[in-house]
Amino acid sequence: MEIFLQILANGVMLGGLFAIVAIGLTLIFGIVKVINFAHGEFLMVGMYLTFLLTTGLDLHPYIAAAAVVPALFVLGALTQRFLIQPLLSARDEHVQIFATVGLSTALMNLALLIFGADIANTPVHGVRSQVQLGPVRVLEGQIWILVAAVALVIGLQFFMKRTTLGRAIRATAQNRAAAQLMGINDRLIYVLTFGIGAACVGLGSALIAPLYPASPTVGTYFVLIAFVVVVLGGLGSVAGAFFGAILIGIVDAMSGFYIGSDLREAVVFGIFLVILILKPSGLFSTRLNQSHVSP
Amino acid sequence: MTDIATTLTSTPKRLAGRRAATFGLLAVLAGILLVPIGLNDEFVYHIFITICIFAALSTAWNIVGGYAGQLSLGHAVFYGIGGYAGVMLANLGISPWFGMFAGAGVAVIVAIIVSYPCFRLHGPFFALATIAFLEVFRVLALHFKEFTGGATGMMISLNIGWEWMVFRERLPALVIAFGMMLVCLAAAWVIRNRRLGFYLVATRERESAAKAAGVNTVKVRLMAVSVSAALSAMLGTFHAMYLTFIEPEAMFSLEFSIQIAMFALIGGIGTIWGPLLGAVLLVPITEFARGALGAEAIGLHGFVYGIVLMLVVLFMPNGIMGLLSRLRPAESARKETEAAPVAAEPRASGRTDAGEAVMRVEGLNKHFGGLHVTNDVGFTLREGEILGLIGPNGAGKTTLFNMLSGFLKPDEGSVSVRDAVGDWQHPASPGEFAALGVGRTFQIVQPFAAMTVEENIMVGAFHRHAQVGDAREAARETARRMGLGPYLDLEASSLTIGGLKRLEVARVMAMEPRILLLDEVMAGINQTDVRRAVDLMLSIRDTGVSIIAIEHVMQAVMSLSDRVIVLNSGQIIAEGEPRSVVSDPMVIEAYLGKEFANA
Amino acid sequence: MLEVEHIDAGYGSTVILQDVSLRVDTGEVVTIVGANGAGKTTTLRCIAGLLQPRSGRIRLDGQDITELAAHDIVDLGITLIPEGRQLFPDMTVRENLMMGAYRREARACQSQSLSEVLDLFPRLAERLDQPAVSLSGGEQQMVAIARGMMARPKILMFDEPSLGLAPIIVSQVFEVIEQVAASGTTVLIVEQNVFHTLKVADRGYVLENGRMTLEDSAAALLADDHVRQAYLGI
Repeated sequence: MEIFLQILANGVMLGGLFAIVAIGLTLIFGIVKVINFAHGEFLMVGMYLTFLLTTGLDLHPYIAAAAVVPALFVLGALTQRFLIQPLLSARDEHVQIFATVGLSTALMNLALLIFGADIANTPVHGVRSQVQLGPVRVLEGQIWILVAAVALVIGLQFFMKRTTLGRAIRATAQNRAAAQLMGINDRLIYVLTFGIGAACVGLGSALIAPLYPASPTVGTYFVLIAFVVVVLGGLGSVAGAFFGAILIGIVDAMSGFYIGSDLREAVVFGIFLVILILKPSGLFSTRLNQSHVSP
Repeated sequence: MTDIATTLTSTPKRLAGRRAATFGLLAVLAGILLVPIGLNDEFVYHIFITICIFAALSTAWNIVGGYAGQLSLGHAVFYGIGGYAGVMLANLGISPWFGMFAGAGVAVIVAIIVSYPCFRLHGPFFALATIAFLEVFRVLALHFKEFTGGATGMMISLNIGWEWMVFRERLPALVIAFGMMLVCLAAAWVIRNRRLGFYLVATRERESAAKAAGVNTVKVRLMAVSVSAALSAMLGTFHAMYLTFIEPEAMFSLEFSIQIAMFALIGGIGTIWGPLLGAVLLVPITEFARGALGAEAIGLHGFVYGIVLMLVVLFMPNGIMGLLSRLRPAESARKETEAAPVAAEPRASGRTDAGEAVMRVEGLNKHFGGLHVTNDVGFTLREGEILGLIGPNGAGKTTLFNMLSGFLKPDEGSVSVRDAVGDWQHPASPGEFAALGVGRTFQIVQPFAAMTVEENIMVGAFHRHAQVGDAREAARETARRMGLGPYLDLEASSLTIGGLKRLEVARVMAMEPRILLLDEVMAGINQTDVRRAVDLMLSIRDTGVSIIAIEHVMQAVMSLSDRVIVLNSGQIIAEGEPRSVVSDPMVIEAYLGKEFANA
Repeated sequence: MLEVEHIDAGYGSTVILQDVSLRVDTGEVVTIVGANGAGKTTTLRCIAGLLQPRSGRIRLDGQDITELAAHDIVDLGITLIPEGRQLFPDMTVRENLMMGAYRREARACQSQSLSEVLDLFPRLAERLDQPAVSLSGGEQQMVAIARGMMARPKILMFDEPSLGLAPIIVSQVFEVIEQVAASGTTVLIVEQNVFHTLKVADRGYVLENGRMTLEDSAAALLADDHVRQAYLGI
């Protein structure tokens, strides 16, 4: 029983980690309607920035977040402005897919050029210390990630419902032409949204860096899971992504223990395919987000 | 006829351009074979063998990713299956020449199982699903060590000779790679120039219009995927024998899958020769970077790939082929004198007045959310009759059409169609309706934009003629009747709205339907053309075709219809002779408001 | 006030409008009449900045607005109530109306505007906190019109306001349009319901196959043989 609880706790913690990566991805998808295949590389860039700031300036990684988050916001905004926006009117979807795939490939290999294939360990500053929570032990850093993910979900909900900018973002997502007719600058909204989505993963990267070593390909693993989480949670739904992430975290931990650690991914992606094919609107979705399937 | 196309240029250089392109292509192919033989350098051989393999893989990918528009980023699954099948069988003493067909067989089965449920996913989600399948295969290949050798990989047993596809010299490997590339190019060329290719492109461009033209969109995509998977698997077998070592990370690699797709994109996605050009241009650059700069510049070639990919989608989304086609003179309208639509000759049997019923509609109900869009609609269509369907915008006319052609399932009620033999059938899908001879147009025109006018009509003509030559003949005949004769070689996207409306009708007419559903084909065309269209429809009717026409142009409805049905808020509010229906007070009120009815 | 001069427009290589010109003076109610697909909606989309004309100019009070983005044109005081309502489906009626007052000039007095439009559409007051998607077609059209009015525009453009509505609701919609015009707002309206529209309008244009073929006072158009035959069915 204790082992089960420990694995459950590990799963929830892992889920928090997946959530903080996936929230930005689902936000960008829900509003801009673009699947950002370079999202994992945004995470990777953020982790290397954290690594550089913590080793270079001897900062605590959480303080480095104050610089990493705005930097990722700019990276996201630039991506939308100069890569996605020119392609918005493109007739074929493959153009947008290849655009972000190209960005992903370029960023990953740029990191390989600069840092080499070796891993980069961000100084831990004590966040790897174990905390006893009742019958289970978790890492301090994992708790902070979970807290940050919850805060991000609540904060984004509040922002979207209660602020003028948030409402304008929702309006643009629901009906772009009508939003323009209200006087909303839809292009600016998209740039800001992409920036916010990237900033979310920027926050995640600063929190994850002390727990996981950075490498040029670190994003690939996380982003594939993030895609799973986003589809599971209902595309574009921030809260859905959070619960989807927790669920996948638990599945990952459980299957790693009970089935075999080398088959974890097969289980996760198997579930992903079943959901994608049988219930493509996701487990926690609203009726809105069905644009990706034929009736 | 000035309103049909916006550009009409004429050039005599087309043939010359085509000849230049053929020479260019032959030069490229000859170069791939002769340059390495001439230079006789190990490294040069390696580069050109790699070019052949990537060009072939990319060409095979293009059948699915380009023609069918299903963006697979997991094509390495098939390549890997072929590789493992070849190596595993070779180690059991079975020649890879057999192994490659075994691999191809497995790949086809996997392709069909994997693709079938994924086809309802659009663009990025199809891509995501293919990535997920690739990951599952990679993880499974790592897990089942006893078969695959797991992460440590597998060496092939070094039996040298043609029967083992393993050689000391490079020349035989180049010959095999080159031959396989030719096979892939030939397959791509044949598919593109047969009915299957037309159907694939039509399905990619407008799935619903393709379905209405009787295309079994799932079947044609599965055929494309099968061919593509089989070719990829065979290439995987050869490449594995060439590399003499395989491991899951290399055989089921996402990066590798992306590269395959990338060559096609850069060369020109959906074109026959684009993938070849993409590979010829990019493989040498990256192999040189890898060979010359080596470990010092690890990541450089990937970085360049990524940048090139972004630049290509931003500035030349049609790839190298797109650039080349701009150099060639534009396709031009043919100089033909005929222009106005020509009335069809009545069928020998002549018109059967108020013939037997050919379509029966009973108690149709349809709800969208809380909205009752079709409320207990029932009527009968007779042979050789024109039934006008009118009603204010939003009355539910198009929804009704969707149910009469299988695009929408009614909540209640039935649509039955009498087949050619005289038995009543209950078709359910667009394909079944089309097979029974029900053709429809769409209110919002749905041209296959990337195809010419002739090819658009051919998609309809293929319904009756399986051979390209016959279909082309039938399409030209239909085009002539519809007054589209001079515009056969123009891209559909360069027609005006009036021209597109006419093309929409022509595509359906080419199916030689027995029942024709026309959704506002006269909207937005001028008075003279309305007159002409009315004559055309009457002549179609006189060949024995039954027509249901949604129309807003009152004058047309009055002079055209044998009978009129008025729909308002999803209900039939009047039915009968055109004259009597229009003077019905309820109809006037629905159309013009109360004041007018009382005025 | 608003001048459209010789515009050509279309989508892709498809031409919809050819050499279309029109003029709307302050306080006028002007209508564009024509068959489905004649290019009426395209004309309004060009004025609203949703579509860039290929040639020709559009001016507001003498200022060239041809190349401005849609949101800038809203800021200058031209609001389009689009065909098919185009509400924000998952936002409440109140949020939809508030989005109407997004433009800077209107945001300051949005609560005053809200009470004004609720006076005009008392039905909406009961529905304020429902999601827009849950309303009936007629109510949705009311929200669309009210949302347009929340912007307090100088010129309010209506695209097919009676589309898909029951006759009784259509009459209500036209009453509202008359009230809007009476309050001093300039109105440009595109409608399939030609009879109703010409009754409300001062002046009208006839658009056929992408070209303006007729311009006259509304009363004259109502009496015109061609118009009566082609659009009134008599």
